[in-house]
Amino acid sequence: MSTTTEGPVLECHDLEKSFGGVPVLKGVSLSLELGTVTALAGENGAGKSTMMKIASGQYRADSGSVRVRGEELAAGDIRDAHRLGVAIVPQELASIAHMTVYENLFVGRELTTRIGTLDRRAMSRQAAEMLDVFGVDIDPGARMGTLPVGMQQIVEIVKNSSRGAKVLLLDEPSSAISEREVEGLYRVVRQLRDSGVAMVFTTHKMAEIRALADRVVVLRDGGLVLDRPMTEVSDDDIVSAMIGRELEDLFPPLHTVPRDAERVLQVEDVHVVGQPGGCSFEVRRGEILGLAGLVGAGRTELLEGVFGIRATTSGRIVVAGREVRRRSPAAAISAGMAMVPEDRKLSGAIMGLSVLDNGTLPRLAQFSVAGWLRQRARSQSVGKAMESVRLRSRGLGQEVGTLSGGNQQKVVLARWLTEHVDVLLLDEPTRGVDVGARSEIYRIIADLAEAGMAVVMASSDMTEVLGLSHRALVMREGGVVGELDRDDLDRPDVQELIFRLSSGLDPRPDERSAEPGQRAAEPDRQPEEGDA
Amino acid sequence: MSATAAVPLPRRRFSRDWIVAQLIRRAMLIVMLLVIAFFSYRSLRFSSLDNLQTILIAAAPFALIALGQTLVILTGGIDLSVGSIIAVSAMTGASIAKSNPGQVWMTVGAAMLVGLLAGAINGFLVSRVDVPPFIATLGMLTAGSGVAFVIGDGAPINGLPAEFGTIANTKVLGLQIPVLLMIIGIVGFGIAMRRTAYGMRIYAVGGNRTAAEIAGVNARRTLFSVYAVSGLLAGISGVMLSSRVSSGPPTLGQGYELDAIAAVVIGGASLMGGRGTVWGTALGLLLIQTLNNGLDILLVPAYWQNVIKGVLIVAAVAVDVWSVKRRT
Repeated sequence: MSTTTEGPVLECHDLEKSFGGVPVLKGVSLSLELGTVTALAGENGAGKSTMMKIASGQYRADSGSVRVRGEELAAGDIRDAHRLGVAIVPQELASIAHMTVYENLFVGRELTTRIGTLDRRAMSRQAAEMLDVFGVDIDPGARMGTLPVGMQQIVEIVKNSSRGAKVLLLDEPSSAISEREVEGLYRVVRQLRDSGVAMVFTTHKMAEIRALADRVVVLRDGGLVLDRPMTEVSDDDIVSAMIGRELEDLFPPLHTVPRDAERVLQVEDVHVVGQPGGCSFEVRRGEILGLAGLVGAGRTELLEGVFGIRATTSGRIVVAGREVRRRSPAAAISAGMAMVPEDRKLSGAIMGLSVLDNGTLPRLAQFSVAGWLRQRARSQSVGKAMESVRLRSRGLGQEVGTLSGGNQQKVVLARWLTEHVDVLLLDEPTRGVDVGARSEIYRIIADLAEAGMAVVMASSDMTEVLGLSHRALVMREGGVVGELDRDDLDRPDVQELIFRLSSGLDPRPDERSAEPGQRAAEPDRQPEEGDA
Repeated sequence: MSATAAVPLPRRRFSRDWIVAQLIRRAMLIVMLLVIAFFSYRSLRFSSLDNLQTILIAAAPFALIALGQTLVILTGGIDLSVGSIIAVSAMTGASIAKSNPGQVWMTVGAAMLVGLLAGAINGFLVSRVDVPPFIATLGMLTAGSGVAFVIGDGAPINGLPAEFGTIANTKVLGLQIPVLLMIIGIVGFGIAMRRTAYGMRIYAVGGNRTAAEIAGVNARRTLFSVYAVSGLLAGISGVMLSSRVSSGPPTLGQGYELDAIAAVVIGGASLMGGRGTVWGTALGLLLIQTLNNGLDILLVPAYWQNVIKGVLIVAAVAVDVWSVKRRT
């Protein structure tokens, strides 16, 4: 492992890339040196992942170049990147679940015996040695799929470094792993740095940046806005670089909800299958109720249970005085509920269909007579709904998949607005949405609430819950463990309070200096640093 | 055009990119025209009205099952059983026709019902029991071909009444009934897929089942229906075929499912679901049939025809994959 080569090992020069006419990277340059860890920070949709995919040869940049030790990387060629020692550990791991750990480590360069058969014993032994170096306790014979995600990730990292990768790109390495596993990941990263590997990881978590990085690079809306050594920047600098404005400007002013407003959604003791706890709560007309909690607290499950996508074992759901049949999204929709799910691509919009078709889908019955679609009526209503959220598209015929993240989210939201909606359920409403569109979506949500909807918004972005809720519930293990009203939400120590409630930990006097691993356990904690 | 454009057209008309995108988009039509031009040039017989009719008659039974296959493939599934369903419904029709000579419509009705039933079983297995479509319909393919032999006691049913044989040859509006059914089917489904709620549900379920369910679409019902429709169409196709040959050979329709799938795929549909059109399938089907016919006229041996068909299938998909890749 020679670290004698001075100067950058990887240089990205003026990278530009757009998808379907939407620019994602607008001329970003970055260089990495051996033995350093760089945090590539930014909001969702800032262009971090695209940047990584170009640097690792998965995508071809529209313009600009990537050089590794002075040699130009053939664009869009993963094998060339491997040859030059650049490897990526993607967010969705590329390991083979049905194969063992050592098979995964050696796939593609298997060890064989003299007669050409697989030398399993040697591979297993070497695998154990490789893992040993990093002090991780993993049985090389275990099936990859049986390991926790954090362990799988470490195996992936070990695999790449053992194949001579000198530049390792980690895409959101801590996004899918538990608090306990984060420490193991950190240790492996530090060890690799000390052995002279250059690493970049994408993140939007402040704690992670502090814990790992020597240098931070912030992208916003496809441009590079900050590139400094960690010792020279404060958390506030990083946060305001990421969101590009002061936090207060992000949210619209909240209207007040009259005390006697109708309780339009009543959820009574609803148990979602697979969740230990049950939930009861009410939402008034015009009110925005935030749902806070850690990943896995059961927020998504609760929303899906209320909307009927997920099975519930008991309880009543009442909308505007009428009980709604459980386990039927169709019944929920006709009762006046609407749902914007967590993952647009997975369950929100249908990417291959047009804006018009996506807008028609939730109200198919209203837009058809005896099965025939009423073209004029649906174009008009959907057009109006999309206009009301100021959708930027080339027209209703445009495929949703070719819109930007923020505009896709607007479609997923606005498609409900062709009819009267009483209850709007939002799950991570701004995930994958760039900053500009974010404040626009907040504005829309506030407007809809003011117009009389009851809004329930689950979010792991603490600022979102604090900035946009009239009231918030903190969830843990499928149940509600705390309720905070607007005054509580304005208290300076509210984040600490929410964190303590949601993690079920004993109160800590000095939470700010907690272990990084613990801090990182709280998802998307970053932006609150700026408003403390 | 909803849900069909593989290649988005660049905004500037007549730019180089625009022309390339147009060419890719219309590739199938262009190939079709080239094929027709080539055969017309090589043979006078090819471009006669009589020959057009020959092509259409040959295409009709395939068209019906290819339509059903299109719906199934749009939901992300596959129906391997249509060939066997043809055999079962043909044998059913033939055996009923033999024992009830006067009852032509009962014969046709029974054969269609058998097809619908087989399709419904596929649909039930896929939508309710969650058996993967490939497996469910593979089972039906195997079992169905067995049933066809059982009905005929292991032999073809011959000596059918004359009325039965006339069904497929009766002309309405100057067109044989199968040809008429094909045209009605293509136009009907073509419109239905774009203009009805049912069509939209199929695209939605195939494009993203979870998202469709959240939007209130009953995905299980939609899935069930496409297999039932596919079975029904295979049933119709079966009775038409057996009427045309005026007998009930238990091997009728063997391997037809692959031609139907080929037509859908050449027509630009994605086997992952959510992308494809009835028009594309119709074009793919006519291309295959035109090739068959033209190559026959030019006395190209059948083995070579298969080679050409195979190359065509792969080339169509390769062009498609390449054109999608160009975007990223």
